Amino acid sequence: MTIHTDTTGAVPAQRGTDRTRRPSQAQRFADSGGILNVFSHGFLALWALMIIVPLFWIVLGSFKTNAQIGSSAWTWPGNWHFDAFARAWDKGIGGFFANTVIVLAGSLTLTMLLGAMAAYVLARYEFPGNRVIYYFFVAGAMFPVYLALVPLFFMVKNLGQISPLLGLNSYLGLILVYTAYSLPFTVFFLYAFFRSLPTAVHEAAMIDGCSHTRAFFQVMVPMAKSGLISVFIFNVLGQWNQYLLPVTLMQQQNSSDPDHSMLAQGLMNLALQSGYASDFPGLFAGMTIAMLPVLVVYLSFQRQVQAGLTSATLK
Amino acid sequence: MGSATEYNRRDIFKRAAAVTVLAAGSSSLLAACAAGGGGGSGTKGAAPSGSGSATNPFGVKANDPLDVVIFKGGYGDDYAKAFEEMYKKTYSGANVSHLGTQDISPKLQPRFNAGNPPDVVDDSGAQAMRLDVLEKADQLTDLSVLLDAPYLDDPSQKVRDVLLPGTIDQGTIDGKVYSLNYVYTVYGLWYSNKLFKEKGWTPPKTWDDFLALCATIKASGVAPFCHQGKYPYYANYLIMDLVAKQGGADLVKRIDALDPTAFDDPAVLAGVSAFFQIMQKDYLLPGTNGMTHTESQTAWCQGKAAFIPCGSWLENEMIKVTPADFDMAFLPVPSLAGDKMPQNAVRAGAGEPFIVPAKAKNQAGGLEFLRIMLTKEASGKFAAAANSLTVLKDGIGPDVVLKPGTKSSAQAVTAAGGNTFNYTYPDLQTAFETEMENATTDLVNSRITPQQWVARVKAATSKKV
Amino acid sequence: MRHRKYPFIVGFLIVPVALYVLLVIWPYLQTFGYSLTDWSGASQQMNFIGLRNYTTLFGDNVFVLALEHNLLLLAVLPLATILLALFFAFMLNVGGRGGTGGVQGVRGAGFYKVVFFFPQVLSVAILSVLFQGVYRTDQGGLLNGVLVELGVEDPNRPWQWLSDPNLGLWCVIGVLVWSGVGFYLVLFSAAMQSVPKDIYEAALLDGAKRGQTFFRITLPLLWETIQTAWVYLAIAAMDCFALVSTMTPGKFYGGGPDHRSEILSTLLMRNFITYGKAGYACAMGVVIFFITLILSVVALRVTRREKIEF
Repeated sequence: MTIHTDTTGAVPAQRGTDRTRRPSQAQRFADSGGILNVFSHGFLALWALMIIVPLFWIVLGSFKTNAQIGSSAWTWPGNWHFDAFARAWDKGIGGFFANTVIVLAGSLTLTMLLGAMAAYVLARYEFPGNRVIYYFFVAGAMFPVYLALVPLFFMVKNLGQISPLLGLNSYLGLILVYTAYSLPFTVFFLYAFFRSLPTAVHEAAMIDGCSHTRAFFQVMVPMAKSGLISVFIFNVLGQWNQYLLPVTLMQQQNSSDPDHSMLAQGLMNLALQSGYASDFPGLFAGMTIAMLPVLVVYLSFQRQVQAGLTSATLK
Repeated sequence: MGSATEYNRRDIFKRAAAVTVLAAGSSSLLAACAAGGGGGSGTKGAAPSGSGSATNPFGVKANDPLDVVIFKGGYGDDYAKAFEEMYKKTYSGANVSHLGTQDISPKLQPRFNAGNPPDVVDDSGAQAMRLDVLEKADQLTDLSVLLDAPYLDDPSQKVRDVLLPGTIDQGTIDGKVYSLNYVYTVYGLWYSNKLFKEKGWTPPKTWDDFLALCATIKASGVAPFCHQGKYPYYANYLIMDLVAKQGGADLVKRIDALDPTAFDDPAVLAGVSAFFQIMQKDYLLPGTNGMTHTESQTAWCQGKAAFIPCGSWLENEMIKVTPADFDMAFLPVPSLAGDKMPQNAVRAGAGEPFIVPAKAKNQAGGLEFLRIMLTKEASGKFAAAANSLTVLKDGIGPDVVLKPGTKSSAQAVTAAGGNTFNYTYPDLQTAFETEMENATTDLVNSRITPQQWVARVKAATSKKV
Repeated sequence: MRHRKYPFIVGFLIVPVALYVLLVIWPYLQTFGYSLTDWSGASQQMNFIGLRNYTTLFGDNVFVLALEHNLLLLAVLPLATILLALFFAFMLNVGGRGGTGGVQGVRGAGFYKVVFFFPQVLSVAILSVLFQGVYRTDQGGLLNGVLVELGVEDPNRPWQWLSDPNLGLWCVIGVLVWSGVGFYLVLFSAAMQSVPKDIYEAALLDGAKRGQTFFRITLPLLWETIQTAWVYLAIAAMDCFALVSTMTPGKFYGGGPDHRSEILSTLLMRNFITYGKAGYACAMGVVIFFITLILSVVALRVTRREKIEF
């Protein structure tokens, strides 16, 4: 991932200089650009519509009546009230958000900390078993989570016997599971990143009498900031969209247990509920409510997200 | 519900009195209860001490918490909250926790697997846990102890004596009773009486009349038939009713027993072929084959289709979207030429299985909860809250006003007299049922013929989970 | 320095490795063990039954069908997503009007990137509900509504989308591509921006058409990013549980009609949760494990050869 900028950059350029230039090149240049421009705008606009229209349609749906939703997709809302939103909110969407934020705050912090620590040691220190541990981690990235689901369920249940704070339907339990399953990718990615960093600064710090731990936190982590941000974004998206793990591990263990549903899980439940209550507007309103904060957060941070992903490819 | 403390104070007096006598009188208080939203009729006093006494046959410990999970589907779960109040009146120290959910299997199966199930479960709906699977895993309590316990309203009777016939069979697996099917459910076709009167359509009695009427309906611009295509078991109600009426009660038993030769009976092919006419004559509501129960039932309520197959929970499930003057009505499945059952025969029986998990922490409490459910008071509350009948004989007083759909289905049952039947395979034969649903999906899309349907379903009789 | 190195290494590795072994490696290993038993998952009782689960598995048509579907996903999902994302990224970065300004992206590239990426941050539940509405089988569905309005389809014969045995899985792939393209678009875009503009300009001056620059310059330069994308998408293709289990018809975790959109994850969950066949589900897991392993090794081989080229 480190090479595009330097090595390959030279190749086409060379190829270019070897050729003889034709007189009409300026003309053709503009032509092909013009056609491509129309063509690309057309496609891009089409895809943008394909994304905006369904989402907008859902928002409109929250203002329709049940009958309208059932009749034709083209009806314009006839019920400009927020009652559907009130019904949806009563089903606890706020709570699902809070649960998700709590778990992700914990799991992302832990994932980044533990992942960076492990990747750093594996990337920068020679010791027996180094390779084995590295491949051990990398192997985990290749297999889908559900393969381990059956025993994992009982593992978490048993952890709950040590302390209810760790067991099924507990924040901490899910945080640990999310972290463990995010480690392979995190280690894999950061390993490459730490390897690509120059060694000189670190060595200088060590000579100055800096301890290994301090060198990591005060020298290497700031240097690796861009890589850490990219992995962080990958992990946010990955954990945000988890469904199978919470559905298996975050179920109320007793009817008086608090509902710790993650957002995806809670919304899916809401969808099922609206099915039996015949409340399509309520369902669409629920989806709209769930979409809005994400939209706001995303729009505020989209520059950082794109910059973060850029650094993933740039280094 | 009213104030709990008030109940408790009254309860103390009642416990001091001879409880059983009082309990017998409780049914007379039903009227007050149904009208006044359950105000002040606490009568279920029973000494909470000791185990296995006459008043407390299961040895419920008064302070043990009770964990109740209710399928919050067509009947809602308000009725269960009322039952829980009744339970608390007797066992005032008990902390009763309640969970109403549509997501029974995803929520509960992990708890069963973890050895931590609730004490009572209403195991229903599209996501219900499979009873045969639970039974195989020794997860269910044998309810015979409940059936032989004294009946709360009249301790001279046993619980099993007050249930409508067929109730116990419906929950029997390999000779043991594992589920109490609480709601008396009637299955068949449904239509809007208002629409029919408006258009001058007469509810058909024979299948030929049905098809002829469908032609008229289609000509008027309404789709004759819709069904809940994403969940093909609704279409199976119609198919298997046609089969049952053609083949008789004996055939029903053989099918439930997964006897492969049952499918060689010409009655099966006759029933399926009759159903297939709907597809051949193009009487389906466009898109119905892929619609969920909500989508199709809503379309039906909006008058887009004339008939829909369903059970009697339909009226309560759709209560919010049904127009006030809809006048929902029930139609027994029309009869074919040469039917062994009369035209007015209907599939009816106990539905909505309640179970007590074998590993429930408060198993006795779970059983006692079921016993309380079967009192007249509870049955009346259910009728009021969920607009449906329970399996209790004479379960409601004359004062309970039923909505038109439920009333019409109840009348159909009365008219049928002894000619009611019911299948047990949908609850008890998971693999077979699933395969039959798959075959039906193909049939309603005309991807297979009735002959192929029969062959596939026959082959599925060898499938067990 | 050496005397302080090992305590540090151990100190840094112990927690992540312990957590990883406890919650990932050990459950994977247990999956192997349980796969040799008739465990129901409901109790601690189990009997050793050798390889019987495996022999049943290969006689299980549904399993073979699910496997085929996963392989289809594995082939189509990365290919479709990457091609579309590359195409859009190329448009956004190089597709703009040339002339005086030289090579540039189209106007509004920033807007497009924001819009295209947005589905990625939506919860998978929203996708599921949204697309159940889009794919609804009568005219209340967005697609059927549009198609009927355009006169493309007969209102009396609306398309069945998710309920059509030949279309269901493709509908799910559609959703995955719809939501995934934006992410890879941004990823590829970033990689393209790291390519100096003058390379393109030199090539264009040299007489190459813009389309050619894509194959001659963009693709080779992005090769490694594309490989990374391929790996993520392949992992995603092996899962797909959330969408298939909630969107497609079929009893317990979808996969219908008649298993025509069945995938390994839904089949495994149904056997574990609904049918109480935890041992059998584990055997399924083991087989999937080896298939994934083989595919990964093949992929690694291919990747390695490509790396030498650079």
